[in-house]
Amino acid sequence: MSSGTGWSRFVERHPVPVFTFPSVVVVAVLMAFPVLYTLYMSVHSWFASSLTSPAFVGLANFRRAFLDDERFRNALWLTVYFTALATVLQLVLGVALALLLNRPFRGKGLVRSIFLLPMVATPVAIALVWMMMYNPTLGVMNYLVGLVGLGPYNWVSNAAIVVPALAVVDTWEWTPLITLITLAGLATLPLEPYESALIDGASAAQMFWRITLPLLRPTIIVALLFRAIDCLKTFDIIYVMTQGGPGFASETLNVYTFQVGLFYFHIGYASSLLVILFALVLGVSLVLIKVRRGSW
Amino acid sequence: MQVLRRLSILSIVMALALVSPALAQPFNWQQAKGTQLRVLLNKHPWQAAIEPHLKEFEALTGITLVAEVYPEDQFRAKVLVELTSGSSSIDVFMSMPAQEGLKYMRAGWLQPVDEFLKNPALTAPDYHWNDFLEKTREAMVVEGKLVGPPIQVENTSLMYRKDVFQKYNVKVPTTLDELEAAAKALNGKAMTDDGQPGFGIVARGKRAAATSQFAAYLHAMGSTWIGPNREPMFNNEEGVKALEFYGRMLRTYGPPGSENNHWYEASSIFSQGKAAMYTDANSLFPVIEDAQKSKVVGKVGYALFPRGPKGQYGSTVASWGLAMPKSSKNQKAAWLFMQWATAKEQVLAVQSEKGVLGARESVWKDPKGLTKVPADLRESLTVGSKVGTPLWNPPVVAVAECRDAIGAAIVTSIQGGDVKAAANKAAADVKRIMAETEKK
Amino acid sequence: MSGASSWRQDRVSTRTYVLLVALLIPFLFPLGWMLLSSLKTQVQNTAYPPVWIFTPTLGNYREVFQKNPFFTFTMNSLVVAAGSTGLALLLGLPGAYAIARFKRTGIALAILTARMAPGIGYLIPWFILFTKAKLIDTYAALILTHLIVALPLVLWVMIGFFEDVPGDLIEAARIDGCSHWAAFLRVALPLAKPGIVATGILSFIFSWNNFLFSLIIAGFKTRTLPIAVYSFLSYEEINWGGLTAAATIITLPVLVLALFVQKHIVRGLTMGALKG
Repeated sequence: MSSGTGWSRFVERHPVPVFTFPSVVVVAVLMAFPVLYTLYMSVHSWFASSLTSPAFVGLANFRRAFLDDERFRNALWLTVYFTALATVLQLVLGVALALLLNRPFRGKGLVRSIFLLPMVATPVAIALVWMMMYNPTLGVMNYLVGLVGLGPYNWVSNAAIVVPALAVVDTWEWTPLITLITLAGLATLPLEPYESALIDGASAAQMFWRITLPLLRPTIIVALLFRAIDCLKTFDIIYVMTQGGPGFASETLNVYTFQVGLFYFHIGYASSLLVILFALVLGVSLVLIKVRRGSW
Repeated sequence: MQVLRRLSILSIVMALALVSPALAQPFNWQQAKGTQLRVLLNKHPWQAAIEPHLKEFEALTGITLVAEVYPEDQFRAKVLVELTSGSSSIDVFMSMPAQEGLKYMRAGWLQPVDEFLKNPALTAPDYHWNDFLEKTREAMVVEGKLVGPPIQVENTSLMYRKDVFQKYNVKVPTTLDELEAAAKALNGKAMTDDGQPGFGIVARGKRAAATSQFAAYLHAMGSTWIGPNREPMFNNEEGVKALEFYGRMLRTYGPPGSENNHWYEASSIFSQGKAAMYTDANSLFPVIEDAQKSKVVGKVGYALFPRGPKGQYGSTVASWGLAMPKSSKNQKAAWLFMQWATAKEQVLAVQSEKGVLGARESVWKDPKGLTKVPADLRESLTVGSKVGTPLWNPPVVAVAECRDAIGAAIVTSIQGGDVKAAANKAAADVKRIMAETEKK
Repeated sequence: MSGASSWRQDRVSTRTYVLLVALLIPFLFPLGWMLLSSLKTQVQNTAYPPVWIFTPTLGNYREVFQKNPFFTFTMNSLVVAAGSTGLALLLGLPGAYAIARFKRTGIALAILTARMAPGIGYLIPWFILFTKAKLIDTYAALILTHLIVALPLVLWVMIGFFEDVPGDLIEAARIDGCSHWAAFLRVALPLAKPGIVATGILSFIFSWNNFLFSLIIAGFKTRTLPIAVYSFLSYEEINWGGLTAAATIITLPVLVLALFVQKHIVRGLTMGALKG
């Protein structure tokens, strides 16, 4: 019965705040101090020390990043490059694989299980194994590409191909996610458009481009959103495999910020870089959310 | 009568003076009994060697030790986060003052230990501070204050395959020119167990990590990091020559992908027999002489780093040591640990058991201390530690940042790019970094 | 399975099977290589061309267990993963239900931003916070930090599952006089059980794999498995056999878990995307 104590009546009238309160509070508390700390530090300059305090510098850190810091601009470009390359690769491969798997056959469950494995394997462990495989003199990757007459390559030791080599690792890890999401999406597609298209004599390719793809669009964009957020922030595999090298050829914004903060002790500047990175992720997310909701 | 009395009084006084040290108190190791010390250690052969002995310290002093071990990158990040937060509970940590000493000192994070060392109540009479090699003692002093005791010593040296040099009748290089000639002569020659060809030379190329080993080449060429006027000097004529030399050697006679090689990769290539020479820290010799993992056990010679065209020595002297945070609440106990860990008995133990290159002269003179160390290593270490320069890092506050800037030039050289431009850029970066971080 | 997929119900040819196998191999290869390398000696691991046929040895595993307190690492990973998952479910399920039932997408988006913040920014502030609260090097600290990943995950995925619960059933319960809480507990939860399983497993896996937070926040007593594997790259040269043995030990639990409950995981992952 909905009579009773004042508390249960309160819950009855305001279910949303009560039910969501614990989650919101926990997230808010865990994030509040770091967010405030980072924002505060981003407008200060502080070379970590017990003897000096942070000095207020307004927007100087941000100005410096965009105007004076070549390494920052490099990091920004590499972040976008890596993200774009990895997400496009995963998307194309993932959707293609989904289309291929989208038919009944025996062992489908087994196949899906196998697909899951790259996604759930511990990234640090995976990064180390790939590092081993990519070794220019001892690694198995050079052996394999040698079998088809290519290589040998320096992979992650080569400034020109290190980002693609890293993107391959990310693609290996996450294409299965795209495939699984797409498969689920395909399962919900309606029959009628296809039936009418068949009657009109459309080819398989036409049906794919004109019916399947547009219908799948919202699903694909959400998958893209998740992957884009994660790729922009990728840290584990890059840090473990190259630490941003050779030279600075794979130093994405996240890796650069780690160096600036934890190895160079420039807490203020690192904080401003974090704000910029967050703004980038937020910006990309908003764009993708809008694309999904809007023009279609 | 008077004279006799005075003489007898004098002799009694003298007798008492001679006897009094024997009557003095034995050093009180138990004076901090009951304390708990938190000690942060970097994963290192010294740490591996001292760990089994830690309970001896606890028994001797009644102090409990909580020792935490982390791999180097994580170790440094952790120490920084703790010290920056101002809420650290670390009492002792492994430190290389040439790497972070100046920064930590100026940030007010280090407790100088001069007063502890001078205090007879806190330092055992047989500690013998001057037993430590002179350059290692110097290495532990930052801005006139002593950071702590050294725990080991190492040089950048030349490690080479004795068998390969013999087989192809090549002279072991003693100058940089001979080094290049030898690399050229041996590159591509069969040198592995199964007769496969190998590289002439292998060395680090990974940005900041390469800087410390490149230091030897830089100094052998006659240049150095910072000039007497506190301006970057490594982009002068000799410095650029050194950069070109280093890059050219690795590019032409070294393994592909050298620019991504830390010592893990470089030492692996050498110990698999795939390179004729390897310039790196001689403290790596346990890795190379590890019977279980190395294929070149017993075949390696350890020589002094080659001299430059004008006869300059390139050898560097580096030392890990122990440091005490200013925030430690157990400073007396911490000093007792630092002292014990570097006392003659312990240095002899780590050196004779695991081949850690200790910093005490007396241990080097003790035959027990030489059992695990190859004879030629001992010789080159002794000479190298006397003539070597402690400047394996630029003497600046923001060492990590400067090392990355200089490391970028090294990578460019290995890749065959414009070395002079890269060197000038690195110098400009270092100058800017120094200006930002060294205002007094 | 319904929809457009069934209209192409042609017999699956052997050619398709072959193609399928060919596609699966790249995804399995690195994991297989990891396992193979862990059974080789250092000499075999550094041989080139790579050795494919060899007598396997368990020496690396023995060494890994002897030299490292792997039991401690595993316990720590387990406690932290289970703790953060349990807590995330406890706190997140009611929230997800409310957001789904009352269509408050605003809050959902706000929580998503928690997922966008770079992890590094948390390190120093959290270290200061936890040290002041005397929680450093405790399970509590690690569990709390993992929550920042687990809670948004639970919310995001469970919103979709709760939306699937037929509104009429809940309405019926309400008409019968159930309070919101009772409706949630007695009607929605049981119906969303597959989703809860899926989310729980996903959250557990992501916590198990977390590297950055454990790197800095975990103390010596609370070190987790990813840190263990990373420490193989240190002042002991690269020990390929030991490294891959450690890597296998760390990934094996989640791989096995994934295989057993793949159906649930797939539903969880795709649900979050479809209803996003």
